[in-house]
Amino acid sequence: MEAARALAEPRRRDILRLVRDDELSAGAIASHFDVSRPAISQHLGVLKSAGLLDERRDGTRRLYRVRPEGFAELREFLDDFWGEGLARLKSAAEADHSVRVAKRGGLRGRQ
Amino acid sequence: MAVNEERMPVEREVRIEAPPDVIFKFFVDPDEMVRWKGVEATLDPRPGGLYRVNVTGTDVARGEYVEVSPNERVVFTWGWEGEGNPVPPGSSTVEITLVPDGSATIVRLRHHGLPGGPEDRHAEGWEHYLARLAVAAGGGDAGPDPWMQSAGEQSM
Repeated sequence: MEAARALAEPRRRDILRLVRDDELSAGAIASHFDVSRPAISQHLGVLKSAGLLDERRDGTRRLYRVRPEGFAELREFLDDFWGEGLARLKSAAEADHSVRVAKRGGLRGRQ
Repeated sequence: MAVNEERMPVEREVRIEAPPDVIFKFFVDPDEMVRWKGVEATLDPRPGGLYRVNVTGTDVARGEYVEVSPNERVVFTWGWEGEGNPVPPGSSTVEITLVPDGSATIVRLRHHGLPGGPEDRHAEGWEHYLARLAVAAGGGDAGPDPWMQSAGEQSM
């Protein structure tokens, strides 16, 4: 639920877009927005705890970028999503086919 | 994007002991669709026609059919509707191919157009992925995939 809430805020999606390609400091991120630095820090905190953002310290600076692991997790999710679906499809289709074969057998005798 | 499509498709394959025509209807007939995926479906199986499957009761997958070749191949675009989803559905593509194999059929599923990660510059697809993360995370609990769980319960 946390990631859902994190993404529900458009500004947070904008932040993720910014750090998709580049690792940026909080200050550099804030410079893209018309809101206070603390507000941006708060957004960064939400994204970080939702697992969408990686934070790295570089001296006194904190640098942020998108957390790539999230993508692998998602790919696994879709892989399971379809894998499970196809297993169910197999059951349903094979059940239908059995019925069809049985009907045919009933009419014409076993072949 | 082409590079990503090659690198990142989700590919699954299953061998089903039934001929292609028995399987094909599960991709184009709403009543058959919900026997394996979703709880409610609206399907208009022709190019440009609506593909809309309510997967869990609250989470809806939507796209458009791109190709419908009876008993051979079905292609549709795919994405999630829903609250907090910044992306229009249909930002990725699912290809289903039915290949006869003796008395059985090999069903190949290829879901592509999925962004590969932060390096992917296809913003729309990337956002789609983020949205999916939001949905996935929305399931919350550890353990079996909540999507699968609720879809399964509906059909039991």
